[in-house]
Amino acid sequence: MTNTKICVAMALAGVLAVAGCSSDQFDIQNTNAPTVEATTGSPTKLTLARLAVGVGSGLLADVGGEIATWGAFGREEYNLLGNDPRTTTETIGGPLDPGGVGGGQWNGKYAAIRTINIYLAAIDKVPASDMTAGEKAASKGYAQTVKAVLLHRLLLRNGTLGIPVDVDAGLDQPPAPFLTQANAYNRIVTLLDDARTNLAAGSAAFPFVMSPGFTGFDTPASFVQFNRAYSAKVQIHRATFVGGGTAAYQAALAAIGQSFIDVAGSLKTGVYYGYSSASGEPSNPLTEPLEAVRFYIHHSIETQAQLKANGDKDDRYTSKTVRVATRTQNNLTETLKPVIYNVPGTFAPDLDADIPLMKNEELILLRAEARWFTSDKAAALSDINVVRTRSGGLPNTSLTPGSSDAAFITELMYNRRYSLLWEQGTSWNDARRFSRKGDLPRDRPGDTIFDFMPIPAGECDARGLVVPCTPPTT
Amino acid sequence: MSIHRRVLRLAAAALLAVPGLLHAQSRQISGTVTRSGSGAPVPEATVSIAGTITSTRTDAQGKFTITAPAGDVRLTVRAIGFTRKDLIVLSTKIAADIVLDQDVFKLEEVVVSGQATTVERRNLTTSIGYVSGEDLTRVASPTIESALYGKLAGVNIQGNGGAPGGGIQMQIRGNNTILGSYDPLFVVDGVIYSNSRVTNGRGTIVDEATNVEDDPANRLADLNPADIQSIEVLKGAAAAAIYGSQAASGVVIVKTIRGLAGAPRVDVSQRLGSFDLLRAYKPGCFASVADAVSAYGAKATAFLATHPLTCYDHYDQIWGKNRVSYETVADVNGGNETTKYFVSATWKKDNAIEPGTGFARQALRVNLDQKVGQKINLSVSSVFNRSVHNRGWGNNCNNFACFGYAEAYIPSFVDLRKQADGSYLNPGTAGGSAPNANPLQTAEFSRNEAETNRFTGGATLTYNAYTTDKSSIRVIGTAGADLFNQNDVLFSPNNLFYEAIQSRPGTSIDNNGLSRLINWNANIAHTLRVGGSQFATTAGIQYADNRLKTTRITTDNLLPGQSNVDRGTNFAVGEFLQRNRNLAFYGQEDVNLLNDRLTISGGIRAERSSANGNINKYYTFPRASARYTFRDLIGSGSELKLRAGYGELGNPPNFGNKFTTLGTPLYGTQIGLANGGVAGDATIKPERVKEIEGGFDLNLWNGRATVEVTGYRRRTTDLLLSRTPAPSTGFNSQIFNGGIISNKGLEVLVGLTPVQKRNFSWVSQTTFTIHRSNVDSLPVPGFRPPGSGFGGLGVLFLEQGHPLTRIYGPRYKSGLSAANCAVGGKCTEQGDLGDTEPTFRMGFTNGFTYKSLNFSFTVDWQKGGTVTNLTQVLRDDGATAVDWGKPAWTKRFLDNFAFRGVMTDYIESATFIKLREVSVNYALSRKVAQALGIGAKEIRLGVTGRDLLWSTKYSGLDPEVANFGAQAIRSNVDVTPYPPSRSVFFNIAVGF
Repeated sequence: MTNTKICVAMALAGVLAVAGCSSDQFDIQNTNAPTVEATTGSPTKLTLARLAVGVGSGLLADVGGEIATWGAFGREEYNLLGNDPRTTTETIGGPLDPGGVGGGQWNGKYAAIRTINIYLAAIDKVPASDMTAGEKAASKGYAQTVKAVLLHRLLLRNGTLGIPVDVDAGLDQPPAPFLTQANAYNRIVTLLDDARTNLAAGSAAFPFVMSPGFTGFDTPASFVQFNRAYSAKVQIHRATFVGGGTAAYQAALAAIGQSFIDVAGSLKTGVYYGYSSASGEPSNPLTEPLEAVRFYIHHSIETQAQLKANGDKDDRYTSKTVRVATRTQNNLTETLKPVIYNVPGTFAPDLDADIPLMKNEELILLRAEARWFTSDKAAALSDINVVRTRSGGLPNTSLTPGSSDAAFITELMYNRRYSLLWEQGTSWNDARRFSRKGDLPRDRPGDTIFDFMPIPAGECDARGLVVPCTPPTT
Repeated sequence: MSIHRRVLRLAAAALLAVPGLLHAQSRQISGTVTRSGSGAPVPEATVSIAGTITSTRTDAQGKFTITAPAGDVRLTVRAIGFTRKDLIVLSTKIAADIVLDQDVFKLEEVVVSGQATTVERRNLTTSIGYVSGEDLTRVASPTIESALYGKLAGVNIQGNGGAPGGGIQMQIRGNNTILGSYDPLFVVDGVIYSNSRVTNGRGTIVDEATNVEDDPANRLADLNPADIQSIEVLKGAAAAAIYGSQAASGVVIVKTIRGLAGAPRVDVSQRLGSFDLLRAYKPGCFASVADAVSAYGAKATAFLATHPLTCYDHYDQIWGKNRVSYETVADVNGGNETTKYFVSATWKKDNAIEPGTGFARQALRVNLDQKVGQKINLSVSSVFNRSVHNRGWGNNCNNFACFGYAEAYIPSFVDLRKQADGSYLNPGTAGGSAPNANPLQTAEFSRNEAETNRFTGGATLTYNAYTTDKSSIRVIGTAGADLFNQNDVLFSPNNLFYEAIQSRPGTSIDNNGLSRLINWNANIAHTLRVGGSQFATTAGIQYADNRLKTTRITTDNLLPGQSNVDRGTNFAVGEFLQRNRNLAFYGQEDVNLLNDRLTISGGIRAERSSANGNINKYYTFPRASARYTFRDLIGSGSELKLRAGYGELGNPPNFGNKFTTLGTPLYGTQIGLANGGVAGDATIKPERVKEIEGGFDLNLWNGRATVEVTGYRRRTTDLLLSRTPAPSTGFNSQIFNGGIISNKGLEVLVGLTPVQKRNFSWVSQTTFTIHRSNVDSLPVPGFRPPGSGFGGLGVLFLEQGHPLTRIYGPRYKSGLSAANCAVGGKCTEQGDLGDTEPTFRMGFTNGFTYKSLNFSFTVDWQKGGTVTNLTQVLRDDGATAVDWGKPAWTKRFLDNFAFRGVMTDYIESATFIKLREVSVNYALSRKVAQALGIGAKEIRLGVTGRDLLWSTKYSGLDPEVANFGAQAIRSNVDVTPYPPSRSVFFNIAVGF
């Protein structure tokens, strides 16, 4: 029986003490944190602006782990701290444990995608009087772009295993099905295109404070340039990972044309994962003092660095590493510290250092690749040379339009490895998409270059599959 | 559920039972009640006439007058502390003098049987633990739980460490929850009393997991043992169900001392004593500099070049001091027939063995009973407390701020004492693995202090609406509030060795817990007597509103010497508010038949709570119990009572379980909203405990021997659990109800008075408890409950078909050992290492009285159970183990633990025998007392000791330990806790 009936009965019985009869008294809310129900039930522009901050911070999920782990997979660096022996055993030699190291770089991004889905669902609930159609479109375009970046990073992690994409269902529903790698790429491309449409229809300004790291790309009109840049990257990965072929490269070139590419501009222009040393804010996860004994750049970066005209090594090697005392863990010996995220000159740790998400230098290299494989080879080499000379201080490449694809890929991978070192696990990704795993160093017998990270044990458990699992894909 | 129909039916029963008229003819019977032996008058004794509800009370001179019907009547006389006596008064007599004997085993004490009803213990239908105030205060104790060791069957009391002022958990009939609230419900004079543990954020300073290892004192520490009249423990569901959904872990009912009519009596007692270190680790000494260097490396060479290779006893240096502790209690007790009062004041200071640590409590209590007219009685209780805890730095630390942890790594050749120039040696200069921390330096400059100011007050109004000799109607209402503010000040200045090496040295924390518990209840009770039978009907309503708010400011990079939280650079602030409301309706019927031989009791409680997913739904908790007493079956004056009961209890969801909250990330100087990762359950409901208990009580030789045996079996269903959804949902955990755990056990209480002579008596009481638990069903993969240990180092691990208390961790596979297991070989496995559950627990209390001299002692024996001794791991690692470098150390630490990860050698038996209490008291004769000419009527002198002697094979200091503090399931993890101490107090009590 309900409370109302009891209260009527009490009133009839003449009981004065009816403290419990007001239902509101028992409807005690959790004032410590906003609830999903209260936030998304009848949202306002103001609450959405706060969720947009959450969307932006969600972009940072797993970034440090990806760079460190994928970097080790691609022999950009080793973690030689030694407090967790797995960084020199499992991470380098496998097998990757789906319940441990191998199950990483998954949860954080899906948690961030849940935030985005909450945000996207809430946008349509805001009355038009509070938020214009343009503001709503701009908001959607922003969130969809961020979501696409996260899904793409998940897909890089999973490779041929594919990923679940439609993950916005409630917990009472079965877990979302895995899409094949190809289908997942198609979905990400579509999502970025939808986002672009929304951004084009968007208001002049975003109806929220843009996250740090988007400086210069913080209006819908400028943000769409980032959207196109990332779309180009996804198309190029699609071309190589799932045989997207010339069509994908053409699409990439079209997208690059609408991006912020500028061969004469600063190579560093672009969108970053923004960090801050301010209290409570996310700070750069990779920076550490030179005395720290965690991260070491792989020695092949030194030995394989090409020489400048004056005989010195590639500027990218010189500027991004510093030689320190040798450290050995489990027969892995290194002596170069990364200083990409340290204060230039003093090499003090820099908690404010941003990490590139998509910079002009990468765009130029992406265009070089797309041009080469769409038979615009001279232009491709010209792009390569922009990076070689401006970033590495190197002479122009010796390749000609008549060179083989294999020779071009070698040149491209060299430049991507040095230009994007310690930024996104490029070497591992390139080795896989160009089937060049054999090019990466194996320092000890039994060391491995992985095809993908396994499905986390929890994901297998929830699907009733035995760990390690390969869920069916659709 | 149609609760209202039941309530109405009960109300109808109450109204139908219209009482008869007074007998036309009657007479007055007068007399005096005195105590056997001394012949002193017994005031406040209840004199009643059997078969009627007519009763009166004796005055200060023990005299009474009662109106009796014509014919022979049987007078029954009861008084607190005495066995009841019946006396036939012939129709011709109008005078009756009665002599009462002392009630050694408190069988006559009146205990609760319902929200508004009471019953004598001898007539109870369930097993209720009982401890009188005098048994609590005979030996000086910091908090009431420590005074309960060994005195209750079925109640497991265990300390979390040796820090002063509490930090003790009381577990009644085992673990009945995994993630829910695990504390018994404490009710003091009808007011629900908070036993919260307000964490203080110590983890920021000592670099461990924040909150779970803070080891705060539980707030029961505020309760003054000197004020307590009695403690009743409602152990079983059949008894505790009167408190419904708050009672899953049992109910502890505390009654404070009330005033007695008579001339004012003033008592002043003074205790003076001290604490000293009970057990200590022997220092690991080095025979040569070469040995020391092999342990601590090149730094030791340099250090020993300028310092001698002396072997210092660090335990003695740090914990070897004893300082004077004291407690002063003064109370006044008196009043007349209409107004009675009890006023007491306490001033207590325990100076503990670690420098700068201790516990202080000041309390002022005023209890007042006021009659208003003939029919109304008002009882008011109020107490103000101030408690100050300085618990020091114990348990786990990752930066060596904690004393024991640091000591485990400090070479024995470092003198920790202040040097002649006022400085301290930094042990970090003496060895490669030695910490930058000197406990005595930390003690001098740091502070970890909690001050609590607390008011608890309540009033009970009893209105005897209608009274005849056959029936009565009473209306009883109680309302009360329990309010406290705990303020923690933690200060770790930047000159301390371990702070100085940090990038932002110096940390200060200001932590506040503000608690408010308000509850009231209103009851109507109807009693009807028909012949030898009695029917008692109660109906009532109870409301409770709880609120606990904690706020904290943490600062580091402090200005030198400054402790204010605004004198640093990095600020972290936090606020957390928990709030719950509960409303319950209940009805109860107690039927007493066959001239008090048979009692049948049944009741039901319907309860709604703001913590539940459905706040409008009433959850019902039924109970039923019965007893039958055979009189004179085994000799004259014997009683054999058989009893059985069934009850259901609830445990409400934790605050917030029903909500899915968003995270609030800070990013780009904005605060945002994001998925919080934890999915609440909007349909969450209380855990439900169902229990059946049965047993018998045997009273022989008019109460000189008593045996109470109770067995129980309880099952908790709808457990609050957390499962891991597919991570791709974006959630990392989801709260839900599910699973079943069961607990069963046996409790025995034996009381004997082997000798009871005029000049000499010997009273003995034994308690025995055996308990087992099992996870019957667990709809999630096996998991470690919160605060269950450190991964890989032996932790609790819950799995279907295993006890909740199992310790699980790395061990050798069958048939393997270090000898046939290569380092790195796959010859270890995760498996059972032990079980924290003791095989049994026993307590023995014996009291001997010769004339005015009393000697008594209590022994507490725990057999079995295991402890994870991580202190030894640290000492082995820190080269301070007494057998460092010897074969035993090599095998235990290097071969098994360090190289192969095997924990087996560090899982030890928790068996102990502790002499908890010893007391010798002597009462000076009245003549001597008066001859002193200070107006004293009575003077008692005594010496008491607590924890004087222990026997245990445990290699650590105290097997009774929990690094993670109070937890639903005890984890028995020993990580360099505050060492145990013993105390001796001299006391003098003067009565005026």
